[in-house]
Amino acid sequence: MRSIRTVERMSSGLAVITTGLTKEFGERRVVDSLDLAIPSGSVCGFVGPNGAGKTTTIRMLLGLIRPTRGSGRVLDGDLDHPASYLAGVGALIESPAFYPQLSGRDNLLALVRLGRLSPSAIPGVLERVGLADRAGDRFSRYSLGMKQRLGIAAALLPAPSLLVLDEPTNGLDPAGIVEMRSLIRSLADEGMTIFVSSHLLSEIEHICDRVVMIRSGRSVFQGSVAELHGMRTSELVIRTEQPGQLGDLAQLLCDRGLAVQIEEASGSVSVSDAVALAGELNRAAFDAGIVVAHLAERAGSLEEAYFALTGTHSGDVEAVGALGEIQ
Amino acid sequence: MIVAAFRSEWVKLKRPNLLVGTYAGLALAASLFAILLFAQAPARGGGDLPSLAQLAQPNGLIHGVNRAAVLLGVVAFGIAATQIAGEYSLGTLRQLLVRQPRRAVLLAGKFLAVLAFMLGAVVFASLVATVAAFVMAHARHVPTGAWTSSAGITDLARALGDLLVATVGFTIFGLVVGLLFRSSVTAIIVGFAYLLPFEAVVTRIVPHTATWLPGQLLQAIATGGQEAAGFPRALILSAVYVVIAGVVATVVFVRRDVTA
Repeated sequence: MRSIRTVERMSSGLAVITTGLTKEFGERRVVDSLDLAIPSGSVCGFVGPNGAGKTTTIRMLLGLIRPTRGSGRVLDGDLDHPASYLAGVGALIESPAFYPQLSGRDNLLALVRLGRLSPSAIPGVLERVGLADRAGDRFSRYSLGMKQRLGIAAALLPAPSLLVLDEPTNGLDPAGIVEMRSLIRSLADEGMTIFVSSHLLSEIEHICDRVVMIRSGRSVFQGSVAELHGMRTSELVIRTEQPGQLGDLAQLLCDRGLAVQIEEASGSVSVSDAVALAGELNRAAFDAGIVVAHLAERAGSLEEAYFALTGTHSGDVEAVGALGEIQ
Repeated sequence: MIVAAFRSEWVKLKRPNLLVGTYAGLALAASLFAILLFAQAPARGGGDLPSLAQLAQPNGLIHGVNRAAVLLGVVAFGIAATQIAGEYSLGTLRQLLVRQPRRAVLLAGKFLAVLAFMLGAVVFASLVATVAAFVMAHARHVPTGAWTSSAGITDLARALGDLLVATVGFTIFGLVVGLLFRSSVTAIIVGFAYLLPFEAVVTRIVPHTATWLPGQLLQAIATGGQEAAGFPRALILSAVYVVIAGVVATVVFVRRDVTA
């Protein structure tokens, strides 16, 4: 009862709030005591490595999977009664799933009838995702990008207050990705709350103003993108006038107990957590007969913050996939 | 809300490939049974087939329909199983449940739509087979006056009613098997293997089982009762099976997580 009261008290101004949301499949705990708070009107990214529990969480929010424990509210409706809030929710869950033998338009018509929506909504959403010209084609003849766009169109049918998108840019070409970002931003500008999962940090960085990061079903970060940027570590990059002195400089820095990495390609060394020591290190190098030609601060990448928070590293299969696409 | 689910399902069912394919296919198959029955009917009685004299009786018209009963039932089972299992294998169920989270309502609407589709197909097939029977009767000089008598029309209506009741049973069993297996291919293979060879082998080895095996009972209903299982027993026992199957299907559908 206490958790329910807590949830009720916190729900104002939040499109989604969960407390201790947990899902177990047999012995395996996929989502572990997840507390979510997604402000109304925000574009909130949901990031984590593959298998972190993103899709399971989304399915619980959509009433497709019953939580093992925990409570929550979506659009002020109880998570235990999805019918109380799903009329205001549009969703694209994983890959877009439609009847292959039906046209895009008829697929939407089936959903319109089921949700007792107005069929007049169909042309508008098709136009919005750029499928108006191909609406009469069979779904099976659509490209992957067109299928994804039809999925977005289906999600927009009820003119939702909350749009839940699970990996919306999957399968899209670069132009499609840019279009999708633009579409999401324009929807957000209309006041729609958007909860978008992705394993691509660049997506989140480009379109979201808030981020929830999860690892092994648990939240490891929840806050604004600016806060996430603030968590990046900075490093000092130093280049010597004489390339032959690079080793001497690295040794000098190591002797001071600093973490140093020689970057052969650029002929420089990078020093972690040493921005505040820039002047002192410059003087020490000069005193040792090393002439510094370049000294600058370099902010750590968002990916590094992501890896640190999620406990993955660039050697992980998931992380490599994500990082590769980020770059 | 059930009407909304029905109308939504109907968008899928009315697609030309399925609608024309099913209706024309069943009509063709039922007509073929009627044509072959009249073509092969002996002039005198004896043997498995009714004689031309028997076909001239008021109930002569329903012999063909009865012969096609198993086929019609199996098709109803297959289409019902495919329609529900396909929602899982295509992943479309998650879309549907977001728009209609009351799962029992969605299931009821889908069931009624598939049932209406199949009942329409059976009625259409029966009408076409009846026309084919009239044509064949003319070709083999079988008098058809008794068929259009009040007794003949009553017999035909009763036979059609029996067939429709059996179709309801086959459709529900199809939905249950589709729900349990969540794969169209598996549901069809398992369902057909059970209804056709399995039950046939079991009833041949242990004839008494024909009085309680569901497929045999539905066949008995479709044909107005059989020697092994009379119509009242078949109807009551089938109703029990159908209720149990319906409850199981609803509970499974409502409670199971949708992970597809």
